[in-house]
Amino acid sequence: MTKFRRVLFASATALSVSLPVAQASEVRVGFTQDADTLDPANHRNRETETIIRNMYDGLLTRDPSMNIVPELAESFTQISPTVYEFKLRDGVKFHDGSPLTTEDIKFTFDRLIQEGGMGDGQTSPRKSLLGPLQSVDVVDDRTVRFNLEAPWPLLPAMLPFQEMVSKSFVERVGTEGMATQVNGTGPFKLVEWRTGDSIIMERFDDYYGGAADIEPVGKACVDRAIFKIIPESASRVAALLAGDVDLINELPPHSIAQVKNNPDTDVVTVNGTRSFFIAMNMENELFKDIRVRQAVAHAIDKNLIIDRILGGNAVSISGILSPDAFGKNKELQGIDYDPETSKMLLAEAGYPDGIDVTLDVTGAFKDTAEAIASLLTKAGIRTTVAVGEGGQLNSKWRTKGGPKSGDMYFTSWGNGSLDPYGIFNPTHRTDDRGNSAGYSNPDLDALLDAAVTETDRAKRAEIYREAEALAAADVPYVYLWVPQDIYGVSKRLKGWRPSADSRINLHDACVD
Amino acid sequence: MTPGKLVERLLHLIPVLAGVSVIVFLMMTLTPGDPVEIMIGDQNITEEGEAALRRDLGLDKPVFQRFFIFVGNALQGDFGLSFFHRRPVIDVIAERLPATIELSLVALIIALATAIPLGVLAAIRKNSIFDKLATVGSLLGVSLPGFWFGILLLMLFSVHLHLLPVSGRVGFESEVEPITHMLLLDSLLRGRFDAFLDALSHIILPAVTLGLPMTAILMRVTRTSMLEVMRQDYITFAEAKGLNRNRILFRHALKNALIPTVSVAAIETGSLLGGNMIVETVFGWPGLGRLVVESIFLRNYPLVQAAVLFYAVTYVLLNFLADILYTVLNPRVEL
Repeated sequence: MTKFRRVLFASATALSVSLPVAQASEVRVGFTQDADTLDPANHRNRETETIIRNMYDGLLTRDPSMNIVPELAESFTQISPTVYEFKLRDGVKFHDGSPLTTEDIKFTFDRLIQEGGMGDGQTSPRKSLLGPLQSVDVVDDRTVRFNLEAPWPLLPAMLPFQEMVSKSFVERVGTEGMATQVNGTGPFKLVEWRTGDSIIMERFDDYYGGAADIEPVGKACVDRAIFKIIPESASRVAALLAGDVDLINELPPHSIAQVKNNPDTDVVTVNGTRSFFIAMNMENELFKDIRVRQAVAHAIDKNLIIDRILGGNAVSISGILSPDAFGKNKELQGIDYDPETSKMLLAEAGYPDGIDVTLDVTGAFKDTAEAIASLLTKAGIRTTVAVGEGGQLNSKWRTKGGPKSGDMYFTSWGNGSLDPYGIFNPTHRTDDRGNSAGYSNPDLDALLDAAVTETDRAKRAEIYREAEALAAADVPYVYLWVPQDIYGVSKRLKGWRPSADSRINLHDACVD
Repeated sequence: MTPGKLVERLLHLIPVLAGVSVIVFLMMTLTPGDPVEIMIGDQNITEEGEAALRRDLGLDKPVFQRFFIFVGNALQGDFGLSFFHRRPVIDVIAERLPATIELSLVALIIALATAIPLGVLAAIRKNSIFDKLATVGSLLGVSLPGFWFGILLLMLFSVHLHLLPVSGRVGFESEVEPITHMLLLDSLLRGRFDAFLDALSHIILPAVTLGLPMTAILMRVTRTSMLEVMRQDYITFAEAKGLNRNRILFRHALKNALIPTVSVAAIETGSLLGGNMIVETVFGWPGLGRLVVESIFLRNYPLVQAAVLFYAVTYVLLNFLADILYTVLNPRVEL
């Protein structure tokens, strides 16, 4: 080929590549974090899951109202307290064109739950998300059975977190290849992963349509979907305002007005699943006295802070559970804002001149903690805010029974499944991972343990209602609020709904 | 410089790297915070699950043993798996490095191209309005927080004027088959002028933000050394001989005045490479700096260790380069 012809050929190719792209519809998401890996079995990161969940489907999924519905499964039944049976949907294809079989389902779960199941000596870090799941048996070419070591009513709630992979594909590319390649059954195929910059996906035309319970069923609306990684909030907002992206997550409350006032953009919110609270160190002489803990609780005007600092985008809580959670105790009487009672309680506890305490917080919530500190100080609890870095504060507060050193810790715990187990046990069970207060109540432990294996749904809900009342009466924490997840959207974006589990499902998203 | 000196200088790298690996290893390990705890966050895990994860990451062994394993593997070029990406850290770093180098080079070019003429001009017109403005400007340039300046540029040029893109390295349409992974270079090599312009439009704001402090410093250095040189006897002599003033300034004075500028620039390039995490975060630039900061917060030990060693090598080599440049430009100086 002559040089001239080569150039001509190159520009012709360039033209033919760029033309259809110009006409294609495309939804662009400005997202806080890149995926750690594209292997659904090899991470413990929610942002990673949010991204890859658009390319992989699960046996079950959640609709935007957080109901659990079948996705790759057609239906499921509980045969006994320890056996669940799933019927697989017919005609589902992987991106490489091969059909999804029950062998793939068994393979996926073996890879997740077996010691060394990743094939390179490693065990999947997601193993413990599947609790006592012991094995998956193939019954026939449309049926699989899940066998549990012990009754575990959480299984359906935890299955939307696991994505199905292709046995032959994993065997071909290995766990190493799974980190950067995708062969799922989801609505989008991977085009390119520019690490740290963006993940570019295109519509999978052979998609089976998604969960029958989530309308509209069918192929994805847009030709291409892109996650563009913009970690800095101000830049993410700028990208939305400039029209570079159609949707951003984690819109800071102070930017809401700016986004709403812009003619092309709007704000969408959904109740989140993360409870915020203040842990009071019950190993500390001061906070051993319940009157002091009550005094702290009475001193905080939650509604004021929700209004002024969170822009009204949060709902206050009187127990650990989110108002949308299963088993939430709706009758719980909160501790009302009453600084005079605080002072009285402090005096009764032997501190007529008030107390001096420190409130630990991570940098992201410094403002909120300072507002809380000023309220506390007004009620005689003179509070200094100490900003620390997350990892460091966790090793100080989440000691699992080891000694704790601080006074108070402004922190939070997320609960993507909205099942109480995910938040109640870690934060309230004696010496558990998230029990920053160092709280211990044997009666509560017994209730929490009983709830894990209780298969009767009504009874289980009743146990949690009782547990929440019991814990609230002991005041180990000041339960604050559940903030809403705030998204900025372009007005060109249609059909997309936010989800409480902070998943960004682009299947139904359309762009004008 | 003799080859012997060269080898000697390169051998200096060994104690530096040994020292840096000990320090970075200890600092990471002694910093409170547990990678497993951070990885699990607030999801469910059993004690066995946690122990298995710790074992997989090699964190169940005592610190000393871990250090020797790290050193032993590092000597063979194996820096381990990134805890979170579950891939060799070398691969993860290699993916991000070209973006950082490209950004640093463009920032360097911008800095040199603006600082030298401005510095010379300020020196020639000493005490003029221009000189005073330049002094104030360079003071601002050094002291403006990169974060703030970056956001300001972004709001002005991207959001209000719609001239430049907000973040990232290149538009999604401008896919170019990589050769060097430097997009500006690759797009030219592939004859894709559209992609070149696209990549250029993405790199301008971050490069200006990143290069601003360096521009300011280099301008000051150039101005000062230009003034210094202009006071020298040979310049006075040349002037007395009645030589053309521009010829004196640009042939005789500038050549000598640039010696400190060049060596400062070479040393500062190290800080461009290492100091761009803020710029990379503001502009969503997929570079190494952002990756390292994220990794520090996540206690991703293997990645931070490898990256810090890389930075150390780069610094040492750049300093070395600065020395060589100095001797080349000024033959009277010996190393």
